[in-house]
Amino acid sequence: MNVIETRNLHKHFDELHVLKGIDTAIAEGEVVVVIGPSGSGKSTFLRCLNFLEIPDEGSEILLDGEPIDPARDNLDKVRERMGMVFQHFHLFPHKNVLDNITIAPENVKGVPRKQAKAAARELLEKVGLPDKEKAWPSQLSGGQKQRVAIARALAMDPEIMLFDEVTSALDPELVAEVLQVMQDLAAGGMTMVVVTHEMGFAREVADRVVMMDDGLIIEEGTPDRIFSEPAEERTQAFLGQVLHA
Amino acid sequence: MLESLWVVLDMHFHGFLRATGVTLQLTFVSLVLAVVIGLIFAFLKLSRNPVANLLSHAYIGIVRGTPLIVLLMFLYFGISSIVVLSSFWAGSFALAIHAGAYVAEIFRGAIQSIDHGQHEAARSLGMARRTSMRLIILPQAFRRAIPPLGNQFIIGLKDSSLVAFLGVSELYSSAMTAAAANFRPFETYLIAGLYYLVLVLIFTVLVNQLEIKLSPDRRTAT
Repeated sequence: MNVIETRNLHKHFDELHVLKGIDTAIAEGEVVVVIGPSGSGKSTFLRCLNFLEIPDEGSEILLDGEPIDPARDNLDKVRERMGMVFQHFHLFPHKNVLDNITIAPENVKGVPRKQAKAAARELLEKVGLPDKEKAWPSQLSGGQKQRVAIARALAMDPEIMLFDEVTSALDPELVAEVLQVMQDLAAGGMTMVVVTHEMGFAREVADRVVMMDDGLIIEEGTPDRIFSEPAEERTQAFLGQVLHA
Repeated sequence: MLESLWVVLDMHFHGFLRATGVTLQLTFVSLVLAVVIGLIFAFLKLSRNPVANLLSHAYIGIVRGTPLIVLLMFLYFGISSIVVLSSFWAGSFALAIHAGAYVAEIFRGAIQSIDHGQHEAARSLGMARRTSMRLIILPQAFRRAIPPLGNQFIIGLKDSSLVAFLGVSELYSSAMTAAAANFRPFETYLIAGLYYLVLVLIFTVLVNQLEIKLSPDRRTAT
């Protein structure tokens, strides 16, 4: 069963043609890592999946087999079913850690406060921050912020998690703790689409690696195959650059 | 001179205090209205509706382009054939309409200054545009608006002295009357100035307190 599927996904920003027809499907429980040079459309692809960017007319996105029409369907309801984690965390600075996590379940789903808090504490435990519930985002390290952001997204109990270069803004020594949480999540069966430059993570955790360039998927396959015998020249060139950097 | 200052102060202390009460009422009423007006027009200006936009631009442009005293006279004398407002209310409305334009710009700027990522994060959690505005953007924008808002309120407090020209017995009007009666304009206006100064200082402290209170994460702000 595919959680999400795209057919002929195009996206223009004015004259700029960023996505040039992406066809892919992500199965339940699958971890897909999207790699590619900057400007290749990875982030835009991810942002189209939850309609933070509205795809061009004619593009199709299916969630659990149901086509989503951004003109007709309530996109807020669609987004409730997908969690997203951003490069720059975007924690809510006026809310403490616990309230960052409970605010959406309480106000979007109407979960009672007590229940939302209990769930949030469980999630904090899961991301390794059980003692931080009263802390303010400004008091956390980047790695801690990102783990809270992951917990915040998980609190909505999403069917799929989207990760947009979530370790790119972190100090190198803080990357591992975030990747560990993501790895645990993958091991727990979460369906994930991960845009990242962390090739070690891709190699270890991905079920499938998708290589994008110039708005298209140019190659995809198991991490073993992509990393050891990439078929496309551009994939070889890209991997050569990032792996020997 | 110091002695005459005491004499004048002694003479007018209570009268000025009563007048200060009127000044505070004018200020309070007009600023509450100004915040409401400002918030409405900030939203109109941020709206994607061209009519709302035009309305907001016109209001802010007209108010910023005309002196407050003209608006005061207009509301009290100018439209008296259509609506008769008491001098207090004409003054309050004029001050509110005037300050509202500046408050609108303060709110608009504060709302726009909030990182777009905040809105995106809220939307990605399934919040509707309205919910995101109410729970995520506005609380942060309000906090950011407090310093310029405090500044605008101080201007509003001092601008209320112009309502003297409608015959409201507020602080400045009382000073004018007193100076005309006691022939001691130096001492009288000096004292009136001190009254205003003390009000502004108290107000500044209150605004600072409010800012601290609304910034619980202030210790290590980023």
